[in-house]
Amino acid sequence: MTTTTSPAAFDSTPQSSAQALRQNLLRNLRKLLRNPLSVAGLVVILLLLLLAAFAPLVATHNPLLQDLGNTLKAPSAANWFGTDEYGRDIFSRLVYGSRITLYIISLVTVIVGPVGLTIGVVSGYFGGWVDTVFMRITDIFVSFPGLVLALAFVAALGPGLDHAVIAIALTAWPPIARLARAETLSLRKADFIVAVQLQGASPLRILVRHVAPMCLSSVVVRLTMNMAGIILTAAGLGFLGLGAQPPIPEWGAMISAGRRYMLECWWLVAMPGAAIMMVSLAFNLFGDGMRDVLDPRSE
Amino acid sequence: MKLPYLLAACALSIAMIGSAQAKTPTDQLIIGMSMNNLLSLDPAGATGNDVVEVNANMYDSLVELDPADTYKILPGLAESWSVAADNRSITFKIRKGVKFHSGNPLTAEDAAWSLQRVLKLNLALASVWKGYGFTAANVEQNIRALDAETLVLTLPEPTDPKLVVYTLGTSVGAMVLDRKKVLANEKDGDMGRAWLTTNEAGSGPFALNEWRQKDVLLMTRYDGYWRSPAKLKRVVLRHMTESQTLRLMLERGDIDVANGMSVPDVEAMKKNPNVGIEAVKRGNVYYVAVSVKDAKFADKRVRLAIRNLIDYDGINKTVMPNYGLYHQRPVQMGLPATLPNPGYKLDVPAARKLLAEAGFPNGFKTTIRVLSDPPFINIATNLQSTLALGGIEASVIPGTGNQVYGAMRDRQFEIIVGRGGGGAEPHPHSSLRSLVYNPDNRDEAKLTNFQGWRTSFISPEINALIEKAEIEQDEKKQTAMYQEIQKLYDQQVGAIQPVSQMVDTVVLQKDVRNFHSHPASTTRWREVSKQR
Amino acid sequence: MSIFFPSGRSARRLTSFGHRLGIVAVTLLGLLALTFFIGRVMPLDPVLSIVGSDADQSTYDQVFKQLGLDQPLYTQFAYYLRDLLHGDLGRALLTGNAVTADIARVFPATIELATIAILFGTFVGVPLGVFAATRKGRMGDQVVRVISLCGYSVPVFWFGMMGLIIFYAWLDWAGGAGRVDLAFDGLVQSRTGLLLVDSALAGEWEVFHSAIKHITLPACILGLHSMAYIARMTRSFMLAQLSQEYIITARVKGLSEHEVIWNHAFRNILVQLLTIVALAYGSLLEGAVLIETVFAWPGFGSYLTSSLLLGDMNAVMGCVLLIGIIFVTLNLIADALYQVFDPRTR
Repeated sequence: MTTTTSPAAFDSTPQSSAQALRQNLLRNLRKLLRNPLSVAGLVVILLLLLLAAFAPLVATHNPLLQDLGNTLKAPSAANWFGTDEYGRDIFSRLVYGSRITLYIISLVTVIVGPVGLTIGVVSGYFGGWVDTVFMRITDIFVSFPGLVLALAFVAALGPGLDHAVIAIALTAWPPIARLARAETLSLRKADFIVAVQLQGASPLRILVRHVAPMCLSSVVVRLTMNMAGIILTAAGLGFLGLGAQPPIPEWGAMISAGRRYMLECWWLVAMPGAAIMMVSLAFNLFGDGMRDVLDPRSE
Repeated sequence: MKLPYLLAACALSIAMIGSAQAKTPTDQLIIGMSMNNLLSLDPAGATGNDVVEVNANMYDSLVELDPADTYKILPGLAESWSVAADNRSITFKIRKGVKFHSGNPLTAEDAAWSLQRVLKLNLALASVWKGYGFTAANVEQNIRALDAETLVLTLPEPTDPKLVVYTLGTSVGAMVLDRKKVLANEKDGDMGRAWLTTNEAGSGPFALNEWRQKDVLLMTRYDGYWRSPAKLKRVVLRHMTESQTLRLMLERGDIDVANGMSVPDVEAMKKNPNVGIEAVKRGNVYYVAVSVKDAKFADKRVRLAIRNLIDYDGINKTVMPNYGLYHQRPVQMGLPATLPNPGYKLDVPAARKLLAEAGFPNGFKTTIRVLSDPPFINIATNLQSTLALGGIEASVIPGTGNQVYGAMRDRQFEIIVGRGGGGAEPHPHSSLRSLVYNPDNRDEAKLTNFQGWRTSFISPEINALIEKAEIEQDEKKQTAMYQEIQKLYDQQVGAIQPVSQMVDTVVLQKDVRNFHSHPASTTRWREVSKQR
Repeated sequence: MSIFFPSGRSARRLTSFGHRLGIVAVTLLGLLALTFFIGRVMPLDPVLSIVGSDADQSTYDQVFKQLGLDQPLYTQFAYYLRDLLHGDLGRALLTGNAVTADIARVFPATIELATIAILFGTFVGVPLGVFAATRKGRMGDQVVRVISLCGYSVPVFWFGMMGLIIFYAWLDWAGGAGRVDLAFDGLVQSRTGLLLVDSALAGEWEVFHSAIKHITLPACILGLHSMAYIARMTRSFMLAQLSQEYIITARVKGLSEHEVIWNHAFRNILVQLLTIVALAYGSLLEGAVLIETVFAWPGFGSYLTSSLLLGDMNAVMGCVLLIGIIFVTLNLIADALYQVFDPRTR
């Protein structure tokens, strides 16, 4: 592609590529749905979403209401998953806890996606010292266990749900940035980018209109696969007492509080733990299926 | 596919390797506890209660308080003592023939030097002595050895000498150190501070073998102990933070004594015929404190509303068993001067009325700072829900002790659920000085060790009475003054509202004999033995 | 260049090695600066940890000064770096020991745990992966996939607690918290710090036996994640090999399936496997933080967490440096293995 191509042809390119993307997506979705494991994951995720959306309808009790006369009761018809040390209904707390989980996941994703994408794309497109600086920074983050780093950040910020989200986000963007950078590097010399450059488009426009959209799909897949990790890190922070604070029914914090009663009252620990595992497994199954579909090399 | 089989066989054989009941050896005492607060063993710089127990067994003090009856002062390294007629000096006669673990003989010079060292280093344990008017500059003059057997304490300021003797019997800072041994390990004029952090130079019944921080502390019997050698050969302190782990190990016979178990576990252990439970009252109280610096709480009516929004009964029934006893006075429970509880109760309508009068008909928003450990966090969670009944929306900010008390020292808080009140000495002054006394309310005064100052609550009348009572020589008059202070505190609605008197619960195997938890944490293991 | 270095290729390799070392140094420096910064904004007061919350202000101010906290931030960092160059990581504020001594004391416990964990991960994960590869797309493959995804999804601290209830409290198969039964504590002289090795060297078989009982459960749970990772990687490595020309040839030659898989295909993925095992080993440090909390394991992870929560920055910085070095080294090793053995990069 050189100067012979007419400007008109370019205007239509994104359209057709968007169309191609849509078709591609549909095909992939169909492929994805053929895998029973991914479907199982998807179903659990959808259930989680419904649960969170309709929590007040599903929950049988007020998750925060203490009933000191009814503490540490075993699962029964009245309290399906039993009650905790303040007499609060565990089932209802789990149901409301799904909101916290989704809140953490979506907030981290919303922060990490754009940040990682921007840094990766800018770094890959411009190269040079910008690239060097950004990549050294990601090196620092990647050369350290995420949980430990998140722990340090929360210790600095002070415990709390929002702080935990920030800490997790701070540790989760480097892999996304690296991915976006790698994609950008492979795109940078692509014909259509060169063509747009020759057209005199500003770098900002090229990045926003042409490069970033092309990186989007792999970034989204990566984010999906990260979600399980986010859930586990958040639960780990909650367990160490640095995540969500009482009386918020965050699952990790519930385990942490419940472990003091673990021996008699297994349900205090077993229920939230099982919930964390199920949701995290669902995201893993779904993400795994997605990777199979989008990245045939891993087959 | 041979590997999985091999592996399965491995796993099975590991699992099969004996499962004999682990029993602790009869001549060892194994204590499970959290060692998170065991930071320095130096008697001058030690903080927290745990180190008191450890040091009480490696060192000796001049006097001891009877664990059964803390008013009774028993001789220790001092055979006898006498108070001067003007109440301004105390003379101790030091026992002869006592030898340190190093073999050096113990003299009055060692005792004087140890106390001087505390003030010269000016670390954690200096506070109480500074309170009596001792300073690094005047201590050499005021604490002197006349000869090898005579130690004289001259009190720089008038105070109750009984209080000083109590402090000598309870404070880790009053342990007697082997001066020669410490000075041999001195570095850059630190009076052995670095070395003593992890080493010991005492004359107590046990000698330190090894201390691996946050892991294990090992002690063995000192055969040259002046009373008579301890019955146990070895004491092992093991770092265990999880109450459930403590309980499991206790049930399995892996440990003899468990410190700091949670309520549900203690309750469960009560059903176990093989263990006994020792609860001992401490001088500290659990309290809800508000900052009077905050405009809202400067209003007495708001403070009174808060006092009406604490569910004393609920907290003491559900949260505090094994942690504390129902108590509402700023003076520790059980002293002759302590008034009966005033019977504050959760009274939501009264609180709402008071809040409306104070201009908060719809309540307000506030924060509760609290330690993230039980029972603090449980009290705070409960308080949060009762405050909500009064329309006060409080968010809980849990943190470590540093964060919570750090904020309190900086006067940066609204509500704190905490614990304090000195109280090692069985004397009202000890509680009041720590919780109520506030001689200078300016920020610049930085009287950070006074919790009264931290809350910015100041009452000139109460201050004056506290000062007067301290030097009152007539016991009856003194008691009356202390009761007057408690009445005033109730009327003026002090900023610190006690909820519960601290109790420490120790769970131990039935075969452990003579283990007597001490109210001042100086639990001594020299008589402990096992009978099987 | 060629004047200094004999041949073009090795010169390139050397410079690239030097370049890489430079990157490593910059990364570690950045890591330290980051930790230092975090440490200073932390709302934790190491002074209070030392003097206690009831100390008066003169004591507080005195210790504040002794710790050098009155100096400006950059001066403190400069002092830290200067000491670091002399191999001095400072004193842990709270234990009073040199940080190097503290780390030397706690690190073996974690190494021991992580090593058993990685052995578990490898010896379970590799066969599972090979098994899955040979049954690609069939039931067995799916089962392995679910197992390994479970390994990724389990909150380790939760599994640790459940394990403790089931295997220690109920079944009495495993030892409880800690490295060894309490009565055996301190009985074996520490030579390597690895209790299993020390007790075996001393011939204290009772202690050895107790240590095995204690380490098995936490190590297996810690190793779950590595097991999952290794199983999945093994599967994909094996699949890549099994589709190669030479495998088909081998099958055509009539070799048994066992021989084809283990003697041909598996042999060829060994190097790749080694690299990912190295990487998995490093990531065990992360799980160790949680597992050590649950099992009261006196290791590196619990040392790091407790130092962090008490604001003991010297100790935290020392730990960070060590973890950074371990991660970077393992990455370098993995890279080097690839460069040396992989024909494509050669």
